[in-house]
Amino acid sequence: VRCQQYPPLRALQASAVLGRASDEHKKEPLASSSQQHFDSPPAGHQPEEKPQGPHPSYTGQGGQESEDYESEEQLQHRILTAALEFVPEHGWTAEAIAEGAKTLGLSVAAAGLFHSDGSELILHFVSECNTKLSKLLKKEQKLVQLGEAEKKPIDEFLRDAVEARLRMLIPYIEKWPQALSVLLLPRNIPSSLNLLTSMIDDIWHYAGDQSTDFNWYTRRAVLTGIYNTTELVMMQDSSPGFQDTWRFLENRVADAMAMSSTASQVQSTGEAVVQGLMGAAVTVSNAETSRAVR
Amino acid sequence: LWRGRCRALLSRPAGALRARRGLAAGPEMHFGFQSVTEEERREKIYQVFENVAKKYDVMNDSMTLGIHRVWKDILMHKMNPCPGTLLLDVAGGTGDIAFRFINYVRSVRQRQLQRKLKQHQNLSWQEIFESYQKDKFNSLGDSQVVVCDINREMLKVGKQKAQHLGYSEGLSWVLGNAEELPFDDDKFDVYTIAFGIRNVTRIDLALQEAYRVLKPGGRFLCLEFSHVSNPLLSRLYDLYSFQVIPVLGEVIAGDWKSYQYLVESIRQFPPQEELKAMIEDAGFFKVDYENLNFGIVAIHSGFKL
Repeated sequence: VRCQQYPPLRALQASAVLGRASDEHKKEPLASSSQQHFDSPPAGHQPEEKPQGPHPSYTGQGGQESEDYESEEQLQHRILTAALEFVPEHGWTAEAIAEGAKTLGLSVAAAGLFHSDGSELILHFVSECNTKLSKLLKKEQKLVQLGEAEKKPIDEFLRDAVEARLRMLIPYIEKWPQALSVLLLPRNIPSSLNLLTSMIDDIWHYAGDQSTDFNWYTRRAVLTGIYNTTELVMMQDSSPGFQDTWRFLENRVADAMAMSSTASQVQSTGEAVVQGLMGAAVTVSNAETSRAVR
Repeated sequence: LWRGRCRALLSRPAGALRARRGLAAGPEMHFGFQSVTEEERREKIYQVFENVAKKYDVMNDSMTLGIHRVWKDILMHKMNPCPGTLLLDVAGGTGDIAFRFINYVRSVRQRQLQRKLKQHQNLSWQEIFESYQKDKFNSLGDSQVVVCDINREMLKVGKQKAQHLGYSEGLSWVLGNAEELPFDDDKFDVYTIAFGIRNVTRIDLALQEAYRVLKPGGRFLCLEFSHVSNPLLSRLYDLYSFQVIPVLGEVIAGDWKSYQYLVESIRQFPPQEELKAMIEDAGFFKVDYENLNFGIVAIHSGFKL
C-alpha cells in the first residue's frame, strides 16, 4: 500500500533558457501521464501558481507565478523546428535534432525524446509545409474576394499551388529522398498518408471544388497522382531553377484537364446516343401501335 | 534448502515493506532479507562490494551467462549519444558503461568525419591536411564520461581495466556518493546508473541528485533488475537465483553471503511502475521503461525538461 500525499499539480516549468512569456498568460499543463503524479518541489524551485483549469480539486502551493508554463508537446515542437536548419548538413537524423536542441539551450540528450530515425522530424516538417500552404492559399483567396486579384482558372490554380508546395522542399532537396523512404515505413504510413490527403483536400477546397458526388474522389486521386509524380521528378531534376519539373507539372495538369473534358465529352456523347436510341424505340413502338390500330 | 528460502520469502521483516521505497521510515531498512539501520546498510553494502570487486566482472558473466553485456549494449543504443555528450555514470565501478560509451561515440564520430570528407570532394591537399590535423586529436568529438562510485575498490578495479584495455581519453574517475554527488548543478547531458540504484540506501535522494546535476534537456537512464510478471518464468528465475547464484558465488569468488545479498536485494527492489513513479516524483518528464528479458531487467528513462 503506498502512502499518498497530494502535493500540488506540477506543471512543466521553464528554466531561463526555455524562454518566458508575459506574466498573465499561463498555458494549460499538458495532459500527459506526468499529470497523475505529484511532488512537492524541493527547496530552491520557484513557487508555483495555484493551478486552475480541469483540476479544481488540487490545491495550489500559493505564491506568485513568475515563469511561463510550456507543455511537453510545445517544447518538442520547438526542438523540431530548431532542428530543421541542421537538416541539410546532418540529414533527417537524431544528430540534427540534437543540434537543434543545443540551439535552444537544452542538452543534446534531448534528442532521445524522439525516434532515432528522424520520423517525427520529417512528419513535423511536412505538417509545417502544409500549414504554410494553407495560409498562402487563404491569403490569395482573400485577395480575390476583395477584388484585388483575378480569379485564376482551375489549371493555373492547381499548378501554382503544387509548385508553391514543392518549392518548400528546395532547401532540403538533397536529403529529401531519405525523408520519403522514412515516410513510407509501415509505422509512419498512417500519419504521412493523412498529411498528404489533407493537403490535397485543402488545395481543392481553395480551388473552389464543392462537388459532393463521385467527382470528389476522382479529383483528389488525380491531384495526388500529379503531386507525387512531380515530387519524384523533382528529386532527380538538375535543371536550373527546376525548370524541367515545372514544365512536367504543367503538362500533367493540362493532361488532367483534357482528360476531364474528354470524360465529359464522352459522357454527353453517351447520353446523346442513349437518347437517340430511346427516341428510336419510342418511334418504333408508336409506329407499331398505330399500325395495329389501323 | 528450498523450503528454507520460501520461509524467508514469506516472512519478510516488517520494516522492509515500509522501507521498500527507499524512504527511511524510522531506522529500519532492508539489507537483502534482513532488517538493518540506514548506517548499517551503507556499511554492509560497502563491504559487499569491497569483497566482490576483484571478481565482479567474472561473476557477472557467470551469473547472467554473459547476457549482461547485451543488456548494457541495449542501454547504450537506447542512449544513442552523439559526440560532445557529457556522461555521468554513477555506481559505474568497473567501467562497463563508460567503455561502451567511448566505443560508441568513437564510431559515431568516425562516421561523421567520413561523411564530412565525402561532401568535400573538391578540397585542395592543403585543406585536407588541415582537416585531418584538426580531427585527429578529436576522435571522441569532445565527449567525456565521468565514472562515479562510492567504493574505492571498485574504482581501483575499473582504473586497472581501463589501463589494460587502453582507454585513457575522455575518461575520469571520481569517488562519490550517489545520494550526494560532488558535482555542480546542470552539468551533465546523460546520467546513467546500471545495476547500482538497487544498492543505494535512499533512492529518492539519488534521484533528486540525478535531477540536480543534469542539464535542462538531460536524460536519466537506469538499468536495473526488476520484476518478472510471467508466473512460470518467475518461478524458474527464483529457482535459479536462490539455488545457483550463491553457489556460483562461493565457487568462483569464495563469497556466498555477498551473492545471497545480491539475489535478495533484487527481490526487495521496487517493481517497474513503482520506480517509474519515484522517478516522476523527482521531477523527470516523459518517464518510460522498457523490459528486457520479460522483466528480469528494465531500463527506465526520464528527461529533465
